[in-house]
Amino acid sequence: MALSKDELKAAIIEKATKSPKPQLYIKDFYACDPDAKPREIKNIANELVREQKLMFWSSGSTTMYGVPSRIKNDDGEGGV
Amino acid sequence: MAKHETPLLDQLESGPWPSFVTDLKQQAATKPECWDILGILELSFKDRITHWKHGGIVGVFGYGGGIVGRYADVPELFPGVEHFHTVRVAQPSSKYYSSANLRQLCDLWEKHGSGVTNMHGSTGDIILLGTRTENLEPFFWDLTHDMNQDLGGSGSNLRTPANCIGESRCEWSCYDTEEACYKLTMQYQDEIHRPAFPYKFKFKFSGCPNDCVAAIARSDISVIGTWKDDIRIDQAAVKEYIAGNYPSNGGAHSGRDWGKFDITKEVIDLCPTNCMWMEGGELKIDNSECTRCMHCINVMPRALRPGAEKGASVLVGAKAPILDGAQFSTLVLPFIPMSADNDFEELVEFIEKVWDWWMEVGKNRERVGETMQRVGLPTFIKVMELEPIPQMVKEPRSNPYVFWAEEEVEGGFERDVEEFRAKHAA
Ligand code: SF4
Ligand code: SF4
Repeated sequence: MALSKDELKAAIIEKATKSPKPQLYIKDFYACDPDAKPREIKNIANELVREQKLMFWSSGSTTMYGVPSRIKNDDGEGGV
Repeated sequence: MAKHETPLLDQLESGPWPSFVTDLKQQAATKPECWDILGILELSFKDRITHWKHGGIVGVFGYGGGIVGRYADVPELFPGVEHFHTVRVAQPSSKYYSSANLRQLCDLWEKHGSGVTNMHGSTGDIILLGTRTENLEPFFWDLTHDMNQDLGGSGSNLRTPANCIGESRCEWSCYDTEEACYKLTMQYQDEIHRPAFPYKFKFKFSGCPNDCVAAIARSDISVIGTWKDDIRIDQAAVKEYIAGNYPSNGGAHSGRDWGKFDITKEVIDLCPTNCMWMEGGELKIDNSECTRCMHCINVMPRALRPGAEKGASVLVGAKAPILDGAQFSTLVLPFIPMSADNDFEELVEFIEKVWDWWMEVGKNRERVGETMQRVGLPTFIKVMELEPIPQMVKEPRSNPYVFWAEEEVEGGFERDVEEFRAKHAA
């Protein structure tokens, strides 16, 4: 059964917090709810960014997501 | 900021062409950080390795694209470029600017950044090079509030769509490229500003097969204008070309004497499908064989025009990566109508079908063309619910692109070979 929005948000945060890698691709979150469409997961991940519970990390050609406390900027700053 | 010794870079100024080294030295008069760009580049030439660290978490609030983080790995030597982020600003359709807008843009970048620009990046954006993290939000505020302009795409986003000048100036355009580009840009704001995909995704719109934005080489979905009916011929104008009264190619090669225009040599023999000939003093075209290459139309624009039933072909999967081989996009939809009246419904429906599939099946950092290659064209076509056609195949006469499923073969694949061979010798 598909998760509710709040359950999905919690599952995404848990995955981002516990995964061995601090930065994850959007696809890595698909498994949080196999019943959800990729676009729903993307929308929720972006909502979490607006809530400042996740943040983006981008190389310029690709973009990843992570929890702010685990992502370090290249210059050691906490980010914007 | 100190001036650095840059003998290796100085050598680049000695050629006959304009040099970015000279430009940067000039810019350093008002923006001293430009000395540090020269300094860090000189060091990279010496060390044979880049001193830029790539990527980071810089951006403006609410956007997951448009800013590319750049940091120097030797900030103690070059403090002016400790942060040197790139900003991508969406270019206007067809890159039409007023000089007032360009001035405003340059003033804005002098205020918040290094003043160094790159017009345009390969995706088409206005590229503003070099600013510090703390300047990003004030810059973004001014850009959006004072200039009503927006950032473009970067990262795993839909990249800023681009189009040729189309109907605004070009009589060959088979649909309104500016309208299509603008409509889709507005419709997919979320995909442009927030990462949605396994990797980058680009659309480009060309009004005819001359493909002036190189959509076929550079975009994941290439929308290229075409026509369904016959090339329109004005036989009287054909005669004028033959008589040498009209310059061929609209006079584009008139700087030199190429001799008398020869329709056989310059048009008919160069038609890639050999579908043209002269008969009774008239030019004939077997339109069922024409591949819409545009050659004859380019050579004799006053005599030949694209047909009247216009629309676009849609091709999927181009990419130009640095490491792996470049690849052109593959023809998938030979013809769709392109009309703003129905909000380009046929195209939008197809784009979303491709996205839904690619977001599910595409691997991380895999362009849609690579996903197509991995699963194979037959699978892709099946998922897109399309019928295979010879135009999807490079050499349809030698490439067995038709594969039979077992249920389509009488007796299935399990038939008795002995019995078959009794009638058909090996
Ligand atoms: S692609 Fe075709 S329609 Fe567009 S500008 Fe070039 S020639 Fe004109
Ligand atoms: S457009 Fe190209 S293929 Fe078609 S008739 Fe002209 S030269 Fe031949």
